[in-house]
Amino acid sequence: MCILKVEDLSLDYGKQEVLMAISFSIKKGQIIGLLGPNGAGKSSIIKILAGLVFPKSGKLFFEGNLKPSFSELRNHCGFLIDSPAFYPFLSAKQNLQLIRKINKSDVNLDQLLHKVGLPYVNSKKVKNFSTGMKQRLAIAQAILRNPDILILDEPFSGLDPNGFQDLIFLLKALNKKGTTIIVSSHLLHELEQFADTFILLHKGKIAMNMTKNELLKSKKKVAFTFEEAPSKQVMNYLNTLGVVFDNPTLAILLIDPNEIATVVNNLVALKGTPINVETLTLLQEKYLEITA
Amino acid sequence: MLVINLGLYSDGEELFDFLLQTINEYFYIEGNVVNGYLIAYLALNTLWVHIPILIIIVTAYIFSGEFELGTIRLLLTQPISRSNFLIAKIISMIIYNFCFMLVIAVSAIVPSVLLFGTGDVVVFIDGIQFIQEATFLSRFFNSVMFATLAMIAFSCMTMYFALVFKNTLTAILLALGILILFTLLQTFVIGIFSSWQPYLFTYHIAQWQLFFINEIPLNDIFNSVYYLTGMALFFIIISIVKFNKMNISE
Repeated sequence: MCILKVEDLSLDYGKQEVLMAISFSIKKGQIIGLLGPNGAGKSSIIKILAGLVFPKSGKLFFEGNLKPSFSELRNHCGFLIDSPAFYPFLSAKQNLQLIRKINKSDVNLDQLLHKVGLPYVNSKKVKNFSTGMKQRLAIAQAILRNPDILILDEPFSGLDPNGFQDLIFLLKALNKKGTTIIVSSHLLHELEQFADTFILLHKGKIAMNMTKNELLKSKKKVAFTFEEAPSKQVMNYLNTLGVVFDNPTLAILLIDPNEIATVVNNLVALKGTPINVETLTLLQEKYLEITA
Repeated sequence: MLVINLGLYSDGEELFDFLLQTINEYFYIEGNVVNGYLIAYLALNTLWVHIPILIIIVTAYIFSGEFELGTIRLLLTQPISRSNFLIAKIISMIIYNFCFMLVIAVSAIVPSVLLFGTGDVVVFIDGIQFIQEATFLSRFFNSVMFATLAMIAFSCMTMYFALVFKNTLTAILLALGILILFTLLQTFVIGIFSSWQPYLFTYHIAQWQLFFINEIPLNDIFNSVYYLTGMALFFIIISIVKFNKMNISE
């Protein structure tokens, strides 16, 4: 079931076009990785969905129903906007009490703080928090009312490795309970393990919208390293596959992952056994391929 | 206020002699005209330039402080409409104005009355006005209510600046600049300049003094009430419109 659908979303700041008629849809329970270089429009999409920025044009459908404005989504989503800010002179719990009151929620704040790894902050003022602690608090406010969709902009920034693992664990647990998650991040390797669909933005357009399975099935770059420059026979064979040599002993091929074993077998048969076969990270490869 | 009162109580005789010098030349005065009511009136008269400054510092921060802290993004991503958010802020601003004026009024009148007692009051507004003791408190209360409306109108203008510039200092400086400019324009009361007066909000803010004229000019007061109410509503409406269309991208 499609929980969220965006059509022809455009945004500009004066003459600068930020988003150019982009469309995408998200199914309930998906974890979407939103990728792209700086200035690609990731944060702008999130700010539009949060109702902070008004688009030039675009339609929003939530659970199949056309919504009059993007700000309607606030009733169904929890947001973590980049560089979260809180009232510095209040404690974490006092900040959350305010958010809880606005949301008319009765969530147990001690449990919530425990869930995000801030169980012992007590009366400590937020102004004395580290960046990582603020990030955890921001996650707490985003999940406070069990939203249908959780939209997070750079949620991993400022988190230490433990915090990072805790957050992945928490998000996976929420996703298991049915929460749809959209995560914008630069950490491609981590996203690749965590998300099940990837939307890559580049210059205000969607350059790639692919599920993890589609990504796995797509051709990928494989680097074959030889001990010495390959023989003429091996070279001829590799040329038929469209090889590119980085140096005389390093051949890079763009091939279907299922064909790797066949290629290696053929090279062995031609007495050109590679000493190393390395597959480049899928998402990183796609990212660099599109944004380069 | 208490400090002023104590100062006057301990060493105010010279000042009162100076103030009453003119009156004593023409009138035979019986009873206590230097009393708590007069001092409360003089205190308000002295402070009416400072009160707007104290009001706008807080007002500007009520609105632009959220932008400066970045908490505006936290609040506006919660399920509340922007209009409701701003209206809640406006209500808190109005409550602040009421409380502030109440504190000013109480601190002006209570210590003065306790130290100097009560009595008829002689003030100089369009000539000499003799205010009977029995009517003073109601006049004082009404003038404070009027001044509160004036401060709310001024606060609404400051609110608009705070929303547009998203910066407390800019909003304060702009509001103060306009206050000073309009006050200066108001002081020119000759020729073409005098025709400007009814259009300047500073002229209407100062109308609280009309409550201390013997025959209270209700028409003038109501005109100022309409002007100030209109000014407040105008800035509230354009602030809501502006805020509802505002991109909060930083």
